[in-house]
Amino acid sequence: MSENTTDPTSPGVPVEDPTPFGWLTTADHKRTGRLFIVCSLLFLVLGAVFDLLVRLDLTSATDFVSLGSDSFAQGFAFSREALTLLFLIPVFLGISMYLVPLQIGASNLAFPRAATASFWAWKISAIVLIGAYLGNGGPYGGWANGVDLHLLALSGLVVALLLGAISVATTIMTMRSPGLYMDETPPFTWSSLVSASMLIVSLPVLLGQIAILYIDHRYGRVFLLGNYGIWERIDWIHRTPQLFIYVVPVLGVAAEIVLAAARRRVFEPLAMYFTIGLVGLFGFGAWTNFAITGEGADIIDGFEGVVLVALYGGALLGTVGLLGLLGLAVIQNRKLPKLSTSLIAAFGAGKLVLVGAFVGLLGAAGDWLEIAGRGNDGNAQLRMTTWVTGQQSVLIYGAGLLGLLAALHWWAPKIWGRQLNELLGLLNFIVIGAGALLAFIGPTLSGLLTEQPDFVYADPSATAIYSGWVDDSGAAGLSSIGAAGVAILLAGVVLLLLNLFVSVGLKKGAQATDDPWGAQSPEWMLPSPPPMGEPDDLPMLTSGTPLLDSAEVQAEAEEVPV
Amino acid sequence: MSDTTPTLASGQAQRPRAQLVATGFACAATSMMMAGALGFYMARRHASGPHPGHDWLDGLAVPNPQFDYALLTLVASMVTAHWALWASRRRDTAHAWTAIATTLILGLGFINMVMYSLNRMGLEIGAGEYQNLAFATTGLALAVVVIGLLYLGLMGLRSLGGSVGQQGSTAFGAAVFFWDFAALVWAVTWYTVYVVK
Repeated sequence: MSENTTDPTSPGVPVEDPTPFGWLTTADHKRTGRLFIVCSLLFLVLGAVFDLLVRLDLTSATDFVSLGSDSFAQGFAFSREALTLLFLIPVFLGISMYLVPLQIGASNLAFPRAATASFWAWKISAIVLIGAYLGNGGPYGGWANGVDLHLLALSGLVVALLLGAISVATTIMTMRSPGLYMDETPPFTWSSLVSASMLIVSLPVLLGQIAILYIDHRYGRVFLLGNYGIWERIDWIHRTPQLFIYVVPVLGVAAEIVLAAARRRVFEPLAMYFTIGLVGLFGFGAWTNFAITGEGADIIDGFEGVVLVALYGGALLGTVGLLGLLGLAVIQNRKLPKLSTSLIAAFGAGKLVLVGAFVGLLGAAGDWLEIAGRGNDGNAQLRMTTWVTGQQSVLIYGAGLLGLLAALHWWAPKIWGRQLNELLGLLNFIVIGAGALLAFIGPTLSGLLTEQPDFVYADPSATAIYSGWVDDSGAAGLSSIGAAGVAILLAGVVLLLLNLFVSVGLKKGAQATDDPWGAQSPEWMLPSPPPMGEPDDLPMLTSGTPLLDSAEVQAEAEEVPV
Repeated sequence: MSDTTPTLASGQAQRPRAQLVATGFACAATSMMMAGALGFYMARRHASGPHPGHDWLDGLAVPNPQFDYALLTLVASMVTAHWALWASRRRDTAHAWTAIATTLILGLGFINMVMYSLNRMGLEIGAGEYQNLAFATTGLALAVVVIGLLYLGLMGLRSLGGSVGQQGSTAFGAAVFFWDFAALVWAVTWYTVYVVK
């Protein structure tokens, strides 16, 4: 098969331009996926750097250390937006765009040009967003047009991500190989469908809000207190339980890798799909607590408290169920799977989703009990303290980044044709894991023990100058632990980029065979990497584990005496 | 790829109703967008005073007949859109052209009527809380209608032009489905913002 395999005479099959210009106009899901993955990783560095600057400011309860009073609130807002809208959502959307068609035996995404348009719209909106912040715009910004520009960029990001999500979800719903039923799809494909569907029904709420925020801020600032009323109404997209929707693909990555390493099918496939769906489903509804009330994030009544407990409980149940099923598959194999970076990182990521759900449940239950008058000591609710920052850290840095590490090590052969360096990968796992844990533990304990505020919407400077808010001075020490964690994690991200650059960019990684892992799912039947453009022939799939099926048939044939 | 793996020739990948499914997802997304905006509106209305729906209007009079006629026009355009779909499925070009043209004219008439009603009402952006919320929610609903109209026109022309082959009527059906949905969006918005106020 040649590099450019598309036959110009095939009806409806676009011809790929192999030149660099082709990246602009590509209709190849593999190119679009790569674009999303690489650009999201670069934005991750930016987001983590700003998160570090914000956390450095929190290491002193009386002074600003890095950003200063003028830009602290904007740095805070940007770090949150960069870590979710510029990194976590698009990076897994990119992996889905690359892998889903290969996993379901489709020639391409359902709307490949729409997917490419979604990337460029996302990219341009991201640049505009950064420009708005650089010009002193964004929430709490001093440049009024910059505040409006930030809202427009935010809506551009949401529309772009929605376009990509619709493309992925439609592909899974309508382009599966004949015979590959939904309950046979590989777990990553299923998790992509769950995540994309939940993005489609949750992110547009932000668009509706932005329309009102934009109109009011631009024309008269009648009721939203100008730029002070914005952040508290859009903050829900960066908080739990919404964050669970973003990390659902991590569960698919974990299931894919663990089952392949265990050489087993999952004990009960429908239960696996159900548990992944449960996590996505219970991630939905964050917006009801923040956006619609119009009262900001600091009001919670008994009913909302119960709803939050139920949401976190459902997410916890789903994660426990999935990890239990994966554990059963490993036990069924009766021998330990071969350890690799991807397997360890997948296990770590799965466990950290569990920790995130558990911490969420504890916090929500504590808040609810306090509202219900049992043990009410008049303290701030945990969801208004840095307990929330801890949850964000464990889900974005812990589950998200370790899940990404696992996914990149597992699928790098299929995406770039090269294997990543295993030694660097193991080191990477330790560094990212340690950084994520510290970034999680510091603020979580500080929120619990000292009630350090997560963000003071009415007076952002008080978030950093929190000496008047907290019970004791331990908050500074715990914030320092969190800052150290982000610094370590940043080193881990740089290590990951270095590994990618050396192994893939400089082609120092081992040349990958079609199936270097002895994996199960259909993408490993194709060359590594698959040729550019749409394939001449597509596998006729009847199962999500065709390689395991043929291995079993072969083993049975060898056992039967001729 | 394994030699023993059965394959499909390129182009035989199954894409039944891809456009219809994608349109369904788009409708779900749009519903949530409107839920977000109208939920915001309702929350502010609830907080507007002891007589929500009156206190914040500040003398503004909603021209109900004009808005009613606009809605009726939209309902009529839904009927003609389904007429166009019915005709295109039967390859009845004359009927289909007539119905599509009528739908587009009715759609444009609806937009014109809404703009006229807003002008007659004297809704001034930036003049108050109700005005800003009404502008934002009405603007979103009108944007959905305009997108629906463009989608309907484009798919209708493509379907009749035959450029999408056998999938033509499915694609046009998706556009008609979105047009029905856009009418529903407008009806809910109109009821919330201009009837309940």
